[in-house]
Amino acid sequence: MTEQLGFLFDQSLCTGCKACSIACTDKHDLPEGVTWRRVAEYTGGTWQKDGDTFIPNVFTYYTSISCNQCVDPICVQVCPTTAMSEGEDGVVTIDQDKCVGCRYCEWACPYSAPQFNAETGHMSKCDMCADYRADGEDPACVAACPSRALDWGPIDELRAEHGDLAGVEPLPDPSITRPNLVIIPHRDAQPTGTGTGDIANPKEL
Amino acid sequence: MSLIEASSGATNQIGRRSILKWGAVAGGGAALVGTGSYLGVLPGVGEANAAQLSPTNADKTVWSSCNVNCGSRCPLRMVVKDGQITRVLQDNTGDDSIGTQQIRACVRGRSIRQRIYNPDRLKTPMRRRPGTLRGEGKWDEITWDEAYEEIAQTLTRLIKDHGNESIYLNYGTGTLGGTITRSWPPAQTPVARLMNTIGGYLNHYGDYSSAQIAGAASHHYGGWIGSNSFDDAKNAKLQIMFGNNPLETRMSGGGETFVTQQTKKLHNVRTIVIDPRYSETAQNIADLWVANRPGTDAALVAGIAHTMITLGLHDQEFLDKYCVGFDEDHMPQGIPAGNSYKSYIMGQGPDGIEKTPEWAAQITGVPAAQIVQLGREIGAASPVAITQGWGPQRHANGENQARAIFTLAALTGSVGVPGGGTGEREGSFGLPMANPFATDNPVETSISVYGWTDAVERGPEMTALADGVRGKDKLGTGIKMIWQYAGNALVNQHGDINRTVKLLQDDTLCEMIVVIDNHMTVSARYADILLPDTTNAEQIDVIQQGSAGSMGYSIVADQVIEPLYNCKTTYEMMTGIAQKLGVEQEFTEGKTQEDWVRQVIDESRENIPELPQFDELREMGVWKVKGESRVALADFRTDPQANPLETPSGKIEIFSEALWNISHTWELPAGDKITALPEHIDTWEGPTEAKTNERFPLQVIGHHYKQRTHSSYGNVKWLADAHPQVVWVNTADASARGIANDDWVEVFNDRGRVQLQARVTARIAPGVLSVPQGAWFKPDAAGIDQGGSVNTLTSWHPSPIAKGNAQHTTLAQLKLA
Amino acid sequence: MNVHELPMIIFTIFAQMSVGAFVVLGIIQVVARFKGGTSAVDKITDPLLYAIGPAMVFGLIASMFHMNDITNTLNVLRHWDSSWLSREIILGASFAGLGFLFALAQWFKWGSTLLRQILAGVTAVVGLALVYAMSMIYYTLVTVPAWNTFATPAQFFTTTFLLGCLAVGAALMSTIMWRIRKTTSTKSQVSEADAESQVVDASTRVLMTTVLKGVGIASVVLLSAQFIIIALHLSNLAGGGAIEAQSAVVFSGGWFIARLLLVFLGAGLLALFVYRYAASGAPARHLAIFATSAFVLVLAGEIIGRSQFYDSMFRIGM
Repeated sequence: MTEQLGFLFDQSLCTGCKACSIACTDKHDLPEGVTWRRVAEYTGGTWQKDGDTFIPNVFTYYTSISCNQCVDPICVQVCPTTAMSEGEDGVVTIDQDKCVGCRYCEWACPYSAPQFNAETGHMSKCDMCADYRADGEDPACVAACPSRALDWGPIDELRAEHGDLAGVEPLPDPSITRPNLVIIPHRDAQPTGTGTGDIANPKEL
Repeated sequence: MSLIEASSGATNQIGRRSILKWGAVAGGGAALVGTGSYLGVLPGVGEANAAQLSPTNADKTVWSSCNVNCGSRCPLRMVVKDGQITRVLQDNTGDDSIGTQQIRACVRGRSIRQRIYNPDRLKTPMRRRPGTLRGEGKWDEITWDEAYEEIAQTLTRLIKDHGNESIYLNYGTGTLGGTITRSWPPAQTPVARLMNTIGGYLNHYGDYSSAQIAGAASHHYGGWIGSNSFDDAKNAKLQIMFGNNPLETRMSGGGETFVTQQTKKLHNVRTIVIDPRYSETAQNIADLWVANRPGTDAALVAGIAHTMITLGLHDQEFLDKYCVGFDEDHMPQGIPAGNSYKSYIMGQGPDGIEKTPEWAAQITGVPAAQIVQLGREIGAASPVAITQGWGPQRHANGENQARAIFTLAALTGSVGVPGGGTGEREGSFGLPMANPFATDNPVETSISVYGWTDAVERGPEMTALADGVRGKDKLGTGIKMIWQYAGNALVNQHGDINRTVKLLQDDTLCEMIVVIDNHMTVSARYADILLPDTTNAEQIDVIQQGSAGSMGYSIVADQVIEPLYNCKTTYEMMTGIAQKLGVEQEFTEGKTQEDWVRQVIDESRENIPELPQFDELREMGVWKVKGESRVALADFRTDPQANPLETPSGKIEIFSEALWNISHTWELPAGDKITALPEHIDTWEGPTEAKTNERFPLQVIGHHYKQRTHSSYGNVKWLADAHPQVVWVNTADASARGIANDDWVEVFNDRGRVQLQARVTARIAPGVLSVPQGAWFKPDAAGIDQGGSVNTLTSWHPSPIAKGNAQHTTLAQLKLA
Repeated sequence: MNVHELPMIIFTIFAQMSVGAFVVLGIIQVVARFKGGTSAVDKITDPLLYAIGPAMVFGLIASMFHMNDITNTLNVLRHWDSSWLSREIILGASFAGLGFLFALAQWFKWGSTLLRQILAGVTAVVGLALVYAMSMIYYTLVTVPAWNTFATPAQFFTTTFLLGCLAVGAALMSTIMWRIRKTTSTKSQVSEADAESQVVDASTRVLMTTVLKGVGIASVVLLSAQFIIIALHLSNLAGGGAIEAQSAVVFSGGWFIARLLLVFLGAGLLALFVYRYAASGAPARHLAIFATSAFVLVLAGEIIGRSQFYDSMFRIGM
C-alpha cells in the first residue's frame, strides 16, 4: 500500500471565500446542487450592552471540507453495492458501474462528502483530483486557495509537521470515521461537541 | 441561446469523459503521486512560464484575466476545447512569498466561465421599441450599421443644439485593468477617445469608490497619497484598520488578501480592526475588533485624540514640524483663535464641548474605557500603521471621517516612516505602464461623479458654489446623452434607484442612453441603444496590475475564443461610429486593437526596460517583478522643505484654510456642514438621528460581498449559490422583530423596499443592517426589490465637500417579509 | 409529510406489516392446532396468507423507487458482509420468496403438514430478521443521533406486530364479510343473519372470537409499549446536544399529535371495542367495521410516525 493521503486545512487563514469550492465545481463540471467541497461558517458570541454603548465578544471561523478519505470510511461500510471503495492511497472512490444511487452513504457521512448527482442517478465525491495528481499537479481546491489554507499529502507527513487535530466544531468527533485531515485551528476554534456557536450558513452546505 | 446550449452540452461531455478517466485511474491502481504539494519545478519570476497543465482533452490553454473593479487583478488560464472554454485555472507562476507570489484568482475569477457563457449575454444590437418606456424591456433588434448611424446622427444633433457638455460618459468599472478596453478611468476609454475626436464631453471628478476620501486628501495632503503598502506593516508595532477589509474587498490570492495574511502570519504585528461589522479581515487577522456605529469614525478619533493629548502621548514634534492646525501655535494667519484641532478636542473651540472618551462613547457606541485603552495603546506604540478602507468615507460626513483618520496618523508621528502610514488606504508598488491610446478631452467642465442625475434633471441650474461644478461657474446645459460603457451606475450602483428610474423614464430630459455591455444588466434595461460587447476572453489586451503589496506585474490577456453571437469589441464599435462621423482615421490611426496593445508594451519598455517584448509576454501571460515596499511621503518626512506637499501650506493640513474659505462661501442644503477641521458631524440619517427616528431606527450600510465585485458577477449562478444575497442583522435586533436566520425579510424606508433573506448574526453591531452592495435591482409587480439592491434604500443627497455618494448614510426599518 | 422518503416509508411499513401478519398467522395456526381443527384455521387463514404476498411485493416495488439507477439494482446484494442495507434487501427478497413458496405449498398442499410448518417457521424467522436488519440500517448510523438509539429497533418491532395484528384482524373480518356477501348475493332470499350463521359455523366463531380477542389484547399491550418507547426516545433527545434538539422539534406539533391520536384511537379504543364485542358475540358486520377501522387508523398513524422518523434525520458534522 502506498502512503495514506489526506488534506491539510489551515483554518487560521480561511476567509470563507469558497474559491476552493468553485474551482472544484469548474474542474469537475459538477451540476447544480453538487458541491464536493463546502465551507461552513461557525459563529457564536454575545454583545454586552451598557446604555448607549456596546462591546462584542464574538467569534467566527470557517471550515472548508471535502472528503477526508477516512481510515474508517462509514460510506464504504454502509454502501450496499461495494461501489464505494478505498484505493491503495486510501482515497475513497465510487464505481459508477455499481452505484444504485440509494443515497445511504449520504445519510451516513458526517462530512457530506458523497453527493448525489441527479444527472447520473449516482453518488459522486472528491477523489482528490486523481487525474491532476497523476500529472504531478495539486488537487484543484489546493491550487486555487487564495490564502494558501489548503494542502495535501501523505497524512503521516502532514501530521508530523502540523499535529493531528481534526476535531473542531462543527466537525464530528474524529473517532467516528478517523478522517485523514489535519487542521491548523483558528484562534477561536471551538472543540468538537462544545456547541458554543452555530453554523451560520446551513443552506450553503 | 443555441450557443449556450451547445456549450453546456460540450461541458457535459467533458465531464463524462473525465469520470471515465478517474475510473480508469482508480481501477488500474495507477501510480499516483505520493509526495507533498507544489510538485514539479515551478518557473521562477520573470522567466518564460507558459501554461504547464494539459487538462483532459484540451486543445489549448490561453492566458486571460479577470478585469473587474476589486483593486486586485488576476491572470487566468483558460482551457479551450472545440472553441469553448471548458475550465479556468489559476496563475501557476511564482511562489508563496510576498513579492513573487502566485496571483491566485478569487472565487469570482474562478467562476468567469459562467460570466462568459451567461444566459444574460447581449447578443445583437437592440433599440428600445418606440412608444415604450425605458426599462419596460421591449426591444427591436437592429443591425450594427443602423446602430452606428443612429448614434452618430444623435451625437451630431445634440452637440449642435446643446454643445459637447451635453454628452456625458457615466462612471463604469465593469472592464477595469485593460488598456484599450478599459471602462475606467472614463477619460481613457475608447468612448472618450471617440468623443475627443469630435470636441469632447462633460467630465466628472471622483468615483463611487472613493469620492469623499479623494476630496479629503486633496485638502489634507494636497492630493491622493495612499498609505504604506501592507507588506510594510511588518515594520509596525501596531496596525490599525479603520473600515478596511482587504480580505473581502481585495480578495485576490496574489493581492492584498495574500499580502495582509502573510504579513500577519510571518510577523504577527498586533492588529486592530475598527468596523461596525466583524468582517473577514477582523475574524482573520485582527487581535482586537472595535465595533463602532457607522459614520462615527471622526468621533472615535476625537475620543482617542483626547486621551492621547491628555496623557501627552501624541507626537508634538512631528505635529509642529510637518502639520498645520494641530494647536493654536501652528495655525494659518488670520484664523480666529480656538480653531485648532487641539482646541476642538479639549473643548476650547467654538462649540465649547470637550471631546472626552465619554462624549465619543455616546456617539460611537464604543465604551469610554475602550476608547481610553485605544488612546493609550496607540500613543504608546511607534510606528503605527494606520489605514482606512472606503467605508468610513462613503458617508454624509465622509470627508471629515477620512481626514480624522489621517489626523490620527499625524498624532502618532508615523507618517512617512517604515511601519507607519498616512491613514489613507494602503498603497502598493506599481509599474509605470504607458498608455498611448488615451487622448485629452477638449472640454474642461466637470461635475461630481454623483451629480449626473442632478445634471440630467436640472443641469442649467447647477453651479460651482452649490453643486461643485468645476471648470465653470454654471453648467449651462443639462445632460442630453449618456454613454454607459461597462458600468451599472446608470441605475443599480447610483443612489435611490426608484427615483433614478423615474428620472430616466422622462426621455425629454436625457434624450439618448447608449449602453455597451456584455449582459442585460440593470443599467442596460434602461438604454435606448444596447451594444453587445465581447468579454475580455474574446479579445486581446494588455492588463494593468492590481494592488499586490510590493509586487509589480503585467498581463497580456490573449483572445481565448471567437466573439460569441453578434458581439463586437468596443474598439470596433467606436471605429464604426467614428466612420459615420468622418473621424475614423483620427480614432484608429490606422491601427488594430492588437497594434495598440503592441504599442503599449513597446512604449512601456522605455520606462520598464526589463519588461519582455510583446510576443514573449504574450507567451508568458503574466510577467512579475519584485518591487519595493511603499513608504508613503518618505521624501516629505526626510525633508519637508525640499519636498513640500501640494497643499497651500506645503504641510499636512489638519486645519485646511481652503476648507475654511469654502465653508463660508459654498451654498449648502440646510443641515449640511463643511468644517476646516476633521470634526465629527451629526448628519441627516446619521447614527444620532437613528436613536430618535421611530419609523426608521436602523442604520444601513452595504459591505462589499464575496459574491460580486460591485455588481459584476452578480448574475453568475455559481456565485449566487455560494454566497447568497442576505441582510446582516444583529441577533438582538432580529429577535426583537421575531426574525430567525434565513427568514425572508423586508428592509424599507420612504425611498424603497427590498426583500431578501436575513443573516442573523453577532457579527454586526446592534442597530446596524448591512445589505451587501451590488445585488441586481429586481422590482416585482408591487415595486418591491426582490434582488436585494441596497441602492433601493439609499439617497441622492451628496456629501458636502466632494459631492460624493454617501450611500452608507441610510436609515431604514426591518420586518418579516 | 416527508414525500422525499415516500418509497422508504411505504416499503418499511408494508414490509413490517407483512412480517407481522405472517408471524401472527403462524401464532394463530399454532394456537388453533392445540385447540384442534386445522381445517377451520386453514379455511380462514389461507386467504390472509395470500394477501400478505401482494403487500410485501408492493413494499418491495416501492423500495425500488428509492434507487436512482435501477439498472444497477442487483449490485445491492454485493455488500452483505458489511452493509445492513444489503442484508435488508437479501432478507426482504428471501422473506418474499419463502412466503411465496409457502403459499404455493399451502395452495397445492405440497409436502407434509410438518414440512410446511417448518417452511413457515423458517419464513417467519427470516421475516423477523428482515425487520431487525431494517432497523439496523438506521440504528447503526452513529452520525444520526435520532436513529442511533434502541428506540429504532423497538419501534420497528412494535410497528411490525401492531400492524400485523390489526391487519390480520381486519383481513379476517373482511374475509368473513366477503363470504357472507357472496352467500346473500347468490341466494337473494337469504338474510344477512342467516348467511352469517351459514358462513360462521361454531368452530369458526370460536376461532374468530379468539383471534379478535387476541388482537385486542395484543394491540393494547403494543400500544402501551410504543408510548413508553416514544417517551423514552424524546427524553433521550432532550438530554442531547443541538442536533438532538433539532430532531426533537420534529416530534412536536400537529402531525405528531395526530399520529399519537390515530394510534391511540385505533389500537386502544377500537381494539377494546373489538375485544368486548367479540366476547359478547356481536354480529360479524359490527366486528368487521371495528376491526377495519382500527387497522386503518393505526396504519395512518404509523405512516405519519414513519414519515416523522425520516424527518428526524439530522446528522452530526457538516
